Amino acid sequence: MSSTTQTAPVKHKSISYAKWGYLFIAPFFIVYITCSLIPLLSTFYNSFFENYMDGLKQIGPNFVGLDNYVTLFTPRNDGTIEIMKYAGNTMIMWIMGAIPQIVFALLLAVIFTSERMKIKGQGFFKTVIYMPNLIMASAFSMLFFTLFSNVGPINQIITATGGQVFDFFNNVWSARTIIAFINFLMWFGNTTILLMAGIMGIDQSLFEAAAIDGAKSSQVFFKITIPLLMPIIVYVVITALIGGLQMFDVPQIISAGRGVPNNTTKTLVMQLNSYIGTSKNYGMAGAVSVMLFIITGILSFIVFRFTEPKKEKKGGKK
Amino acid sequence: MPSKMEYIDKGNKTTLFISRLVSYIFLVFVTILSLFSFYLLIINATRSNAQLQAGFEVLPKEHFFDNLVTAWNDTSIFFLPQGMLNSFIVAAFTCILTTYFSAMTAYGVCVYDFAGKNGIHKFIILIMMIPTQVSALGFVQLVNQLGLTNTYWPLIIPAIAAPATYFYMKQYIDSTLPLEIVEAARVDGSNEFRTYNFICMPILKPAIAVQMIFAFVASWNNFFTPALILDKKEMYTLPIMLSIVRSRINSQAGDMGEVYMIILLAIIPVVIVYLFLSKFIIGGVTLGSVKG
Amino acid sequence: MKKRIMSALLASAVILSVAGCGNNSTASTTTAAATTTAAAAGNDTTAAAETTAAPANDADETAAPAPAADEGTTFNIYAWNEEFKGFFEKYMPGYDADAKTLNGVKVVWTINPSDDGVYQDKLDQALQANATASADDKVDMFLAEADYILKYTDSDYTMDISQIGLSQVDTEYQYTVSAASDSNGKIKGVSFQCCPSALIYRRSIAKDVLGTDDPAEVQAQLDSWDKFDATAAKAKELGYYMTASFCETYRVFSNNATSPWVTGGQLAIPDVVNQWIDQADTYLKNGYTLTAGIWDDEKNAQMFADGKTMCFFGPAWYFNFCMGNAKDPDKGCYGDWAITKGPQAHFWGGTWILAATGTDNGSLVADVMRAFTENEEVCENLVKNEGQFTNNKTVNAKFAEDPDYGNAFLGGQNDVAVFSSMTDDIKFQNNTIYDQLLNEGIQTYIKDYFVGACDKDTALANFYGYVNEKYPAVQTP
Repeated sequence: MSSTTQTAPVKHKSISYAKWGYLFIAPFFIVYITCSLIPLLSTFYNSFFENYMDGLKQIGPNFVGLDNYVTLFTPRNDGTIEIMKYAGNTMIMWIMGAIPQIVFALLLAVIFTSERMKIKGQGFFKTVIYMPNLIMASAFSMLFFTLFSNVGPINQIITATGGQVFDFFNNVWSARTIIAFINFLMWFGNTTILLMAGIMGIDQSLFEAAAIDGAKSSQVFFKITIPLLMPIIVYVVITALIGGLQMFDVPQIISAGRGVPNNTTKTLVMQLNSYIGTSKNYGMAGAVSVMLFIITGILSFIVFRFTEPKKEKKGGKK
Repeated sequence: MPSKMEYIDKGNKTTLFISRLVSYIFLVFVTILSLFSFYLLIINATRSNAQLQAGFEVLPKEHFFDNLVTAWNDTSIFFLPQGMLNSFIVAAFTCILTTYFSAMTAYGVCVYDFAGKNGIHKFIILIMMIPTQVSALGFVQLVNQLGLTNTYWPLIIPAIAAPATYFYMKQYIDSTLPLEIVEAARVDGSNEFRTYNFICMPILKPAIAVQMIFAFVASWNNFFTPALILDKKEMYTLPIMLSIVRSRINSQAGDMGEVYMIILLAIIPVVIVYLFLSKFIIGGVTLGSVKG
Repeated sequence: MKKRIMSALLASAVILSVAGCGNNSTASTTTAAATTTAAAAGNDTTAAAETTAAPANDADETAAPAPAADEGTTFNIYAWNEEFKGFFEKYMPGYDADAKTLNGVKVVWTINPSDDGVYQDKLDQALQANATASADDKVDMFLAEADYILKYTDSDYTMDISQIGLSQVDTEYQYTVSAASDSNGKIKGVSFQCCPSALIYRRSIAKDVLGTDDPAEVQAQLDSWDKFDATAAKAKELGYYMTASFCETYRVFSNNATSPWVTGGQLAIPDVVNQWIDQADTYLKNGYTLTAGIWDDEKNAQMFADGKTMCFFGPAWYFNFCMGNAKDPDKGCYGDWAITKGPQAHFWGGTWILAATGTDNGSLVADVMRAFTENEEVCENLVKNEGQFTNNKTVNAKFAEDPDYGNAFLGGQNDVAVFSSMTDDIKFQNNTIYDQLLNEGIQTYIKDYFVGACDKDTALANFYGYVNEKYPAVQTP
């Protein structure tokens, strides 16, 4: 997937350092296998079983083949396939938040790292933009919930200026916008820092050389910064995507846990959570998890494919 | 009429001025955006429960210390500072282990050539995409079987394997660490661990600092796993304490002022950690410029 | 990063199943559903007759071993908040506050928040481990709310109180006993509260709308839904709201259900809930109430002096613990309130004390149960100092008949007398183990229809989807 992965180590074949490689990755894998992989495989395995609690009674596990998947994709009477609707909601709210998040982060990273502009008070700005990420998502959602509630300050302003109370959380687009906005606000600082660290990692001599050659700042940005930053940008997009697909706590609190209005803010993980929460329905939860995994896999693959050609330039680095 | 050369220079100055101006305006806008929630939080932490119920106010009220005292004396959550200490212990160990071992794994994959390493890289990328909450179910069962409930081990040890941190480190090493340095170290007779710890680590400092911040914040704000593992009051972490205080808000015993105060207090240590670690991110600049 | 943080905060995937795979694997969905229905059926004999699984279950229960000898050195109590703990530490005879011991036995509280079901998850886990847990870790006693008590009483994890030497006493209110009984009438616990829920009205608004604030006269004008609806229209004309939440009257209807939510594993919306839907729809369309939920700030703001709402519904704990806004020294309206029975009798909430199977402190559990139901001194303290309406008829009668007793918040009205007069009409019937989330769910989902986000069929379909996620054993239309 990354061209450097294949090319980088080729040159020291003379002495075998392979055992060091295994040694270095051993702690990670030992811990991963015990703490995550085994529980995880059991989740996938569970998706083929009927396995839940009815009150305090355990039902199953009984092998049911693909029944849980069939249930998941069976349309209801009005034709809605719920999991598709929730997948759609998740994507829409993610895109609404992720685009400004990445654009803001790129702009800020460039501003902060620009040798030419020498922005003053960088320490202050850098600290401030990351700060929203320090507030717990639940606390953040709580603040916004009171801000936009029917008796909150926004509606106080609306009514004071002669308007009608607007029920933000019962309108599809205002509810989605608030959720997307909170996600954007919480994460753009985080993304900025990642990109900044990436830009700082770029060999400064390249910028100097470009400056000597009289390159415009837009040229520097598109010809040097972006291509060299590509691995980090891929990372940012992929993790933002994964985080976005796992969007849960903000919509959970904003929509009273139910995806109001009309299930339009309900995400995949909210559905997953709903299955696990009360009845410990591991069968259905396992099936949702597998679907979530497949969707993430497909989208990540697209991102990798989309960004791979640009990375070829980097091959010349060594 | 100015010469061509002067003209260009002047044009550059003008664009520089404009781009600076636009940048500052943008920064101020972003600052307001970022600080607005803190403003709300601080205002709310100075208001009594009844004032909070009555709606929004622009200026702070006089109940800051009342709320502080309430939070401090609240025995239903044992003792708030103890919770902060507990959270700090867990978060500190988590962020150290997660960055050290994930960077080590990434280093192992980048620097060494061994059978199956591409497969391993792809495997980690794959597992990164699996919703974490899913494996948590089985994980807690495991913790119970091992008798590790009410200890901090189940919160700290799993941090060693963080696929997302690995991925970031891998990307960062790919774009910044020249393999010549590793080879040069070998020529000098440095052993491989030494090379990693004393030659590679300093180069990775900005990336390590970034991931430490993220890991610290994630652990500090984590309610999910601790709530499942801990049920002794004296071991509670901050988010559990907050949840207990928040769960009473519909009754007269509830106090939103206290809730906001705890949220506010919870932010202070993370800000300090952030300020401390962000120095290393900036420290990376000088390093990068020397490197060339 | 983002991924980790998100999932970390993922408060609700709180999990842990507990019941290891393998045990009970013979139970199929259908029998399980049938069993619970039988449990729910209560007095519905046909439903009970249809199922054979339930008796089999009970046979096990009768065969359950007698409680272990009372040799425990640690008394473990599970609760979801500090309320009962406070009463226990203040009033429990034999409790040593310094040593934190009860009759020499160390008292250990395990308090988990009820958020995201954490309390029930941990309790379930502990109960299921009780048989094998070491003596000091065994759960001896735990608390449960009306909404989910059936889940515990109708299981083998709770003990028949006769096994610890207790029996029903005359001073307890019948509905509190029914609620603590399993489907075969075995009593599994006691309540230390009785929670008849009253119509709480603003005296000043009642004077405007009804021309009187006298409880008896107000009651006469609001003793049926027809009169209540007519008054709502009148209140609207005068610029008032009848209630501050469209859910305000939900429990009044649902408590008087004539059929359970789930019969034979099949969900059917009870008639009373349909009546509530019609009423709430009308009230919202006509502006008699607000779209706020039962706990929303928007509703609570209506309790201030400048609020425009005439009626609230709630038991003693409601105005004692949830009407802080009305008591606010600056913006409140202390004393401008009164209570009366309202259109229909009902109850809301309450805390039951249950004995966990496997306890090694059975006699202490019995002592606590006795103290908070039979001990008149304890009960009197609960009324006098804590504003409770106790589960002791003798004590309540004493306060009800005391001409000097009055609640200043209610303008000196004797609330104990009003509540006492309501208790006989309260029923605990047609309940199922699914009620809590079904009641909450219908109120949330039908709101989408009320606010115009979708049509009624879609709102109900969303509700059914929610039920399928929460309760796989329940079939929806």
